[in-house]
Amino acid sequence: MASKTQRFLAIVLLATPAIAFAQSSTDHPDFTGVWGIYRGGRGADPKLAAPPASPLVLKPEYAKPYEARRAVEAEAAKRGEQLANASVECKPYGVPAMMSVAIYPVEFVQTPKQVTIIAEAFSEVRRIYLDRPQMKIEDVAPGYYGRSVGHWDGDTLVSDTVGIKTSVSVYRGIPHSDQIHITERFRLVAPDILHDQITIEDPVTMEKPLTYTVAYRRMQKDYEMVEFVCDNNREYVDEKGIVRMKVENK
Amino acid sequence: MLSKFRGLILVAAAVPLLAHHSFTMFDMSKQVTLTGNVTDFQWTNPHVYIEIDAKDDKGTVNHWSIELGSPSILMQSGWKFSTLKKGDKVTLIINPLKNGQSGGFLAKATLPDGRTLGNGPGREP
Repeated sequence: MASKTQRFLAIVLLATPAIAFAQSSTDHPDFTGVWGIYRGGRGADPKLAAPPASPLVLKPEYAKPYEARRAVEAEAAKRGEQLANASVECKPYGVPAMMSVAIYPVEFVQTPKQVTIIAEAFSEVRRIYLDRPQMKIEDVAPGYYGRSVGHWDGDTLVSDTVGIKTSVSVYRGIPHSDQIHITERFRLVAPDILHDQITIEDPVTMEKPLTYTVAYRRMQKDYEMVEFVCDNNREYVDEKGIVRMKVENK
Repeated sequence: MLSKFRGLILVAAAVPLLAHHSFTMFDMSKQVTLTGNVTDFQWTNPHVYIEIDAKDDKGTVNHWSIELGSPSILMQSGWKFSTLKKGDKVTLIINPLKNGQSGGFLAKATLPDGRTLGNGPGREP
């Protein structure tokens, strides 16, 4: 009798770690899969579409030159000209702009320790580490993707990014410093609708944080990501800084 | 506090959906019809191109470079890497370059089999 009880206990004890693991990995929603930009539109549930963004409020000393630059761009557009920007040169977008490039999908690969996001446009890759703390900004090499760490807040994945270099356009070309800090909250608002709420803070250039949301809808299950290598860029910037298209001369 | 901020609110920010470039270089109010033979179909990034020799009203053959979206975008509306090949006879309706060069942005393509395709989702024929 005693031996039977012991055997039963042994089985329970052996099984426990497996059960605990299964529970912890199913506690969180699984974002794995390919997601397309969701624009809502006519007849769509307004709760599923991205809510409006907050106003952009820069510090006065940064607002003036930024507004002036925007005015020059708008004037050029009226003349039918586009001024140069990084994407015309096929440079990657980086974090967070890579999350919303035209209608290109993004693929999430989620494991307990890491969420990897692959953008179809320009084949950009970013990683959010879930098993380690963030580093001090001054210890992160400035780049396009910086360093992202994340944790779960209930059903929401909260990502924290620092280390975005100042030449990377994070939002409509706003000026930012090396102190920029990006917080994202990823959450399923419906089984097949994912929101990425993005907050950009910069104590040097911004008076207030800027928050906007990108909404995605799950692509069909068999969708295969398309490669994107920018090897035939026929847009170029002329001597006046205007974007032109190369035509074949024959 | 509010008045302090008033002058600084620049734009009611919207979700930025970025694209490789704007379409300001093309005259989107004008359309040109080109009928001719494809000399090259470039299924490439950041854009797909159709190179075409097309006859004008006087019978002179001119060469045109026509820009489309990217492969990824076009695949969402029926295009494939093999949709066109060198020598195919096609009719293209395009928005021409504003600078007068022989280039443009595709509005609608009529393929050798009679099918018509646009320039990606939202730009259907």
